[in-house]
Amino acid sequence: MRTVLTVLGLAALILTYVGVQSLVSTLEINVTGSVSSLGGEIDVWSKGAVFPLLSRLPESYASQVKSISGVSLATPVALVQLTVDNNYALVAGVVPAQFPHLLNYTMTSGTMISSNQSGILAIGKALAATIGKGAGDSAQLNGQDYRISGVYETNTWMDYSLVIPHTVAQQLIGWVNQTSMIVVVTQDPRNVNAIIGQIRTLLPTVDAFRTSEAPSRISPIFASLEAIATDITIIVSVSAVLGIMNSNLNNLRERMRTFAIFKATGASYGQIIKLVFYESFLIGVLGTLLGLAISYVILSFVSIPLIETINVKIILVPSTFIYATILGISISIAAAIYPALKIAKVRPQEVFRFG
Amino acid sequence: MDDEIILRTQGLGKTYETKPEKTVALDDVNLQVNRGKLLAIYGPSGSGKTTLLFLLGGLDRPTSGRIYFEGVEVTNMDERRLSKLRRNAIGFVFQNYNLVEELTVLENVMLTMMFEGKSEREMRDRAEQLLHKVGISGKEQRRPAQLSAGEQQRVATARALANRPRLVLMDEPTGNLDQENSQELMQLVSEVIHGEGATCVVATHNLDIVQEADSKLFLKSGRIVSS
Repeated sequence: MRTVLTVLGLAALILTYVGVQSLVSTLEINVTGSVSSLGGEIDVWSKGAVFPLLSRLPESYASQVKSISGVSLATPVALVQLTVDNNYALVAGVVPAQFPHLLNYTMTSGTMISSNQSGILAIGKALAATIGKGAGDSAQLNGQDYRISGVYETNTWMDYSLVIPHTVAQQLIGWVNQTSMIVVVTQDPRNVNAIIGQIRTLLPTVDAFRTSEAPSRISPIFASLEAIATDITIIVSVSAVLGIMNSNLNNLRERMRTFAIFKATGASYGQIIKLVFYESFLIGVLGTLLGLAISYVILSFVSIPLIETINVKIILVPSTFIYATILGISISIAAAIYPALKIAKVRPQEVFRFG
Repeated sequence: MDDEIILRTQGLGKTYETKPEKTVALDDVNLQVNRGKLLAIYGPSGSGKTTLLFLLGGLDRPTSGRIYFEGVEVTNMDERRLSKLRRNAIGFVFQNYNLVEELTVLENVMLTMMFEGKSEREMRDRAEQLLHKVGISGKEQRRPAQLSAGEQQRVATARALANRPRLVLMDEPTGNLDQENSQELMQLVSEVIHGEGATCVVATHNLDIVQEADSKLFLKSGRIVSS
């Protein structure tokens, strides 16, 4: 019974670990996605902005960045959160002519916006499904009627947003010659760092960084989320080690006579330790496998709300399962060290005499 | 001749310190056992028979004196060498058998061979052979609790002989058996042990065993009274 409880406890630990890590991964991937799915290799934000929605810089910076040698594309993107048929969504204002060079997408129906004409938008597949609209339909963007020119699919976070011309976005926000960010594509990806340096020198009031670094820059809170997840893992792991160690100690105490017999019949100190470790390893494997299976089943059905009505499914990252396996088995072994050393010192004559 | 002496003690003593008092379990015990012989240690309860066997078997350490096994002093051996001695050279049949309840009869007999690192095939063959010799054939897959006291004693004997020890120590082997079963068991055990070429030291109350022994020691209050 004690062994079964130990296995279940370990499975619960694995579920906690996989749950927390998957939650962080899901947020990370989606937040990364909300920026990096706009494409490009370098993001340019106003200095000190913690989220692209809060960034504001002159649109003319795009042409200055474009003039740097090695830059193939520098295009402004205005980001704004608006209501679309009463659902909040992230709206990207892009330069229609440059958009195809920025992002890979396929149109599932209709066409992508191709001019600065107002009153037209293209909508991501997931958002279209959420509001129940398709190409040719009308949607209310911030209370005004827009015609949906087409539905695009990127298999990124962009599928939860919609695209309008940059000039239209500027009007909606009330900005003149301003934009949220500039997305940069280089001619040679090996030069990204050098170009980032040149942008920072050329435009001291902006910050430039790799798109992949966006999550930790988006918000200090997001960066600390990973630290919190690590702290939770450490606390849960230490608790698990102590709990399983206590269980092991009691379990071994109950079987003190058995180990005394082993020793009396010739088992060495090392052999007793090996036996305990082997048993703990098996329990660790069992608990871990059970925990992984439960985590997979439960988390496959869990969604988290990201923006109002937009729910994203928990993303199960393979590396989380690999780390969980290592963690589960390591904890099992670690929790066996003290009990193993203690039981290996058992004195058979005392056990046989006094029980 | 000294090389015929397999076991010898010199001024052996054991004192248990249970504060505030000290209990002298053994005091100045000198004995020797010749190879292939049966030594019976007898005496009243609490006379130190079990303590003496535990010391001889390397399960406990004396507080004074020395033990020599095959001419080598075991008193100061480290734990690793003592384990090896218990595994290879000495077989122990405990008063309460001390079979592992979770294991089958066959696995109990294979236990010491497992610690010796023998192959599965070798362990199984040897265990089955010994169980056949002690008359437990057909009950290999039973648990100790499913056997009678006499049968458990035989399994314990088979386990003690598994690694072909040169010395077998038996603590009250007939203590839990009636007279008829005692005689039958001792005859069988004696045949098997001698058949294996082992020397045997038996601690017992049973005078029939004492009569049959090649040599005997009467122990009283931890001291040898007569031999």
